[in-house]
Amino acid sequence: MAAAQASLPLPVLPSEWQADGNFKATASLSTPVQRNIEAVGPHFLAHARRLRHRRTFSEDEK
Amino acid sequence: MESQEEVEDIQPETLNRIYYLGKLESNVIHTPRDAKEILQEGKAEVIANEEGDRNIPSILAYVEGEEYHGTQAKNQLVRNSKNTVAYFRDYLGKDFSAIDPTPCQASAHPQKHDSTVAFSIQDTESESPNTVTVSEIATRHIRRLAASASDYLGRRVNAAVITVPTNFSDEQKEALSKAAKDAGIEVLQMVSEPTAAILAYDARPEAELKDKIIVVADLGGTRSDVAVIASRGGIYSILSTKHDYETAGAQLDQVLIDHFSKEFIKKHKTDPRQNPRSLAKLKLEAEATKKALSLGGNAVLSVESLADGVDFASTINRTRYELLAGKVFSSFVNLIKETIQSADLDILDVDEVILSGGTSHTPRISSSLQSLFPPETRILSPSTLPTAVDPASLSARGAAIQASLISEYDSEDIEQSTHPAVTVTPHLANAIGIMTVSEDVKRGVFTQLVTKDTAVPCRRAIVMNAPKGGGDVIVKLCEAEREIEVTKPEPKPKTNGAAKKDDDDDDDSDLDDDDSDDEPEEIRKKIWKVGKPLAEIAVREVKKGGKVEVTVNIAADMGVQITAREVGGKGGVRGALEKPKPAENGTAS
Ligand SMILES: Nc1ncnc2c1ncn2[C@@H]1O[C@H](COP(=O)(O)OP(=O)(O)OP(=O)(O)O)[C@@H](O)[C@H]1O
Ligand SMILES: [Mg+2]
Repeated sequence: MAAAQASLPLPVLPSEWQADGNFKATASLSTPVQRNIEAVGPHFLAHARRLRHRRTFSEDEK
Repeated sequence: MESQEEVEDIQPETLNRIYYLGKLESNVIHTPRDAKEILQEGKAEVIANEEGDRNIPSILAYVEGEEYHGTQAKNQLVRNSKNTVAYFRDYLGKDFSAIDPTPCQASAHPQKHDSTVAFSIQDTESESPNTVTVSEIATRHIRRLAASASDYLGRRVNAAVITVPTNFSDEQKEALSKAAKDAGIEVLQMVSEPTAAILAYDARPEAELKDKIIVVADLGGTRSDVAVIASRGGIYSILSTKHDYETAGAQLDQVLIDHFSKEFIKKHKTDPRQNPRSLAKLKLEAEATKKALSLGGNAVLSVESLADGVDFASTINRTRYELLAGKVFSSFVNLIKETIQSADLDILDVDEVILSGGTSHTPRISSSLQSLFPPETRILSPSTLPTAVDPASLSARGAAIQASLISEYDSEDIEQSTHPAVTVTPHLANAIGIMTVSEDVKRGVFTQLVTKDTAVPCRRAIVMNAPKGGGDVIVKLCEAEREIEVTKPEPKPKTNGAAKKDDDDDDDSDLDDDDSDDEPEEIRKKIWKVGKPLAEIAVREVKKGGKVEVTVNIAADMGVQITAREVGGKGGVRGALEKPKPAENGTAS
């Protein structure tokens, strides 16, 4: 999907903020819900193809 | 049937001709060989049979050994109902004890036969009836559809994608597959009806790829099926479904049958519903009148020799019809509301309502839905959208598109792709987004980047503005939940002045007060409740008026890769979130 556009600006970095490599991880994602996806449509077929060939999104685009 | 032998046989992998096997009406759709063509130009053609019908009644009738199909067979419901099979799709693959035979009151009755269902019909010249299984009937029907398509195309059709309701069991699918095979048709894939309807809309050239919650209401003749589906980056996940076999087109026909019968009784003292043949005639005509009322403000019903040799003709206007059918219409709306509730969603969450199935031509159903949903919700139906796809062939179009998409695949590929190992997928439990500044600089505003119910792996990107002056900025990634905020506008202060004097209701409105009937309507709004912070990223020395692009890549194991970089700038910041730890012995952390 094309990149979305946000209208409001990002906040200014607090002056005391410090982190290695400018990145601080605080938590992992919440436990997901298992569901069935419909095996239909061009985007599903691309998903299945990536899975079959163990490719990432960017590898798939090349 | 014979024509199949005469026409050229082509390779299955070049086939892309498809059926919608409805219970009442079937469509055959032909799509161009090249999937790109339909995706880019929306090309797909509904094939007409020899009579010129595009919506072909799923009916077979036998007269002195001759087989009639479609509209010709439907007309036999009056004269020859015993040898006319009008309902069979939903009996396939079912035990006799599990079927509802009521729709067959005025056509061949289903019977128990071994472990399946059969009809006893005179389908040959012989006087004695034969027992014909539901599977054989389905085979004959599919053979007729395939023959019409083959005649039209001048090539033999031997494969199809077929749509089925979401609650079709594996046994039913297997039986349908076998029935098709016996008719010389290989079923490439079965697609659920609501998903096919969405695909038909999404494949149109003007469609935009957007995350949305879609309600598909498939209002047919003997059943109504509603599905709530999350569409995320063009991938569809069914969140909830409901089925109602008591609210559909047949109930609307019945409203008209009852109305005209009462008129007839008034004049002629006979109830045409008491005589099977009169009822059959009335039924056919009432359905035609109902369809006419979808288009015009008035419709005529006229039946020659309705009962006791008396002809009958009468007119009804749409307002009257809508009044009489009010209860049925509200049942459609309630079914939709309940399906949304069972997906744990709110009316406000619905971005699109796709009306599918023949009954969706009814303008009143669309307008009721327009008042149920907020104005931003798109209602896709003939009376609300001039470019709407004909709801009667919507699922068939979706199946046709799917068929052309998979036409290069061999059956092993298709089987592999539709296997649960591929389709059962983790979906995000919460939305993920980034905090931005609001007018009140101290308070953050959540801006959504990945929607809840998105299947992984997925990738999303967003471009954010830096503050006007540029400099160092912080990207705070977090989870959030959607909540519905309900506010009640201040009730109007009670004036005991002259202005209210003539208001008669004032007295009882005091009684009603706690019932909230008279109170101003509450205002409901979606808001974000910001949850767990996930990561913080600093992007330094952003130029004046610069922008920052944030990309999130979520892997199948829920591990996250995040990149933030200034648009047009070099490098950028990268980081990762570990996959969540598995819950120990079922206790969620
Ligand atoms: N223009 C119209 N206005 C109102 N109702 C219509 C119109 N066209 C068709 N219908 C009704 O739609 C119903 C058939 O719908 P559809 O073809 O979607 O059913 P089906 O999928 O074959 O069967 P079912 O869903 O009941 O298993 C019939 O009741 C028919 O009268
Ligand atoms: Mg249907």
